[in-house]
Amino acid sequence: MKEKGCSVTTSSKPAYPAGTVITGKWRKGRFVIRRVLGQGANGIVYLVQKEGSRNPYALKMGYDTLDLQSEINVLMSLQSKRKSSASPRGGTRMSYLLDVDDFKGQQGDIPFYVMRYFPGSSLHHFIRKRGREWIGLTGLRLLEKLNGLHRSGFIFGDLKPENVMVSDVGHVELIDYGGVSSIGRSVKQFTEWYDRGYWNAGSRTSDEGYDLFAFAVLIIQLLNEDDLKTAAVQHLPQTRSPGQLLSLVQRSPKLKPYSEWLRRAIRGEFSNSHEALKLWKETIYTPALVGKLPGKTPRWLINAFALSIMIVCLACLWAFFL
Amino acid sequence: MKQILLITDGCSNVGTSPVLAAAHAFQEGITVNVAGVVDYGTIGELGSLEIAEIAKAGGGVSQVVGTRQLAQTMQMMTRKTVVQTIHQAVNRELKQILGHTALEELPPSQRSQVVQVVDEMTETTSLQVALLIDASASMKPKLSAVEDAIRDLMLSLQAREGISEIAVFHFPGRRSGEDTVLDSDWTRDAGTLRALFQRLQMKGATPTGPAIMRVIDFFRYGTLDEHQPWRGNTDEGEGMLGDYVV
Repeated sequence: MKEKGCSVTTSSKPAYPAGTVITGKWRKGRFVIRRVLGQGANGIVYLVQKEGSRNPYALKMGYDTLDLQSEINVLMSLQSKRKSSASPRGGTRMSYLLDVDDFKGQQGDIPFYVMRYFPGSSLHHFIRKRGREWIGLTGLRLLEKLNGLHRSGFIFGDLKPENVMVSDVGHVELIDYGGVSSIGRSVKQFTEWYDRGYWNAGSRTSDEGYDLFAFAVLIIQLLNEDDLKTAAVQHLPQTRSPGQLLSLVQRSPKLKPYSEWLRRAIRGEFSNSHEALKLWKETIYTPALVGKLPGKTPRWLINAFALSIMIVCLACLWAFFL
Repeated sequence: MKQILLITDGCSNVGTSPVLAAAHAFQEGITVNVAGVVDYGTIGELGSLEIAEIAKAGGGVSQVVGTRQLAQTMQMMTRKTVVQTIHQAVNRELKQILGHTALEELPPSQRSQVVQVVDEMTETTSLQVALLIDASASMKPKLSAVEDAIRDLMLSLQAREGISEIAVFHFPGRRSGEDTVLDSDWTRDAGTLRALFQRLQMKGATPTGPAIMRVIDFFRYGTLDEHQPWRGNTDEGEGMLGDYVV
């Protein structure tokens, strides 16, 4: 049995070096570690190759059997729902889980699961590299992913740029399902900035609005991180409020095109993520109407138009009386 | 499920050993977690050793953090302890039914169903957390952060499906011999947890052990009333113990 001890695991744990062969205790699958992909709140993810094949996979080793199994349960449930609904939404028909097993480590068994490997970079790195004009499309794809998850009865919970992978052509995938919880339950895992509770904007009960709020903060961060930082540290926890985020949205010219969407997400006004998805689409595909046209119409043109109407009216009156 | 969450920044120096007190709590079915708070420098070897020992004796977890991570740490420790307590209970059942000693020894396919039950119970079981705050002089600058962290914890607990209640205590009290003071009785509402420590007078003594003993009493009788007949007339923490060690 694992020693639980009296510490809470937060610090980084030593990882296995490249070349280590991970053999499953129950199903005897063999995987060769190539490198560490990342470290989540409840495990380390490695890039591996199945022995005897070229295909790369991602293998997650958990710190705690119960935690990891809870995550595996979510993935299994998603997988079975995806199979039965057979809807094309959410991209290709993919399977999350390829193998679930234990590995005999030096200090006892370590649980792991193997999933598809998704090459790409984190959302914030992607946007920094490729430019802000990608926010509309990647945001849309991310909302589609969230919507798919919501329709399966789950919310993602710990939504932040680090947990969103984007491929070089802009395909989006959520990674780290450790924070996923059933709708109606308490949110399992969160990060302060993106947490509705942190901003005194609502509860920590899982509903679709919780993810949408986190999405809104994420967009604000991508477009105006400095002001978000200031807003977060400026106020005492008890005076922090969604109003600060709303005024930030109103002030910032960079956020203007998305302001209506962000306002509704922060206030929790979307009835579900489908509605939010629809408005996002309208927002990004009608840029001429939303952002540019009204702002670009010169003031003098409007004035001149008003003046000419007045002259026409006067002319009519004059003609009428004569 | 009952928990004590002790928030302190150093060693106890008066009365009963806090490790013994935590062991008594555990005996009563109360898990003891400890958050050590330090902003500058370290908590000292002795302090961090004591913190770890209290948690160990109390069947809980401990961590030393700065005030910035306090809210998150308290939330995580509380949740982890709930899961751990249920996990242990489930392992006992498994041993009885299947002869397996632990969840970890089940094949992954069977593990899945057991964990579903654990998750369900984690969310729905009712929970009482008594927060016990060290209000010795060195804690003064940290108290507003502690208060915020308490409200944040309440917010997380309110989201659970099961009933969750918080009570808040600080120690030592104003008069000598007053080991602990009740700041807020059991509540389910974060709104009532405002201005908890406004009129606090800071003192040097840190009677952690006696304070834990008093909170155990509170779990039992719902009061800190000192004049209960069964206690006899000993004022010292040591004297009280006679009633427990039977």
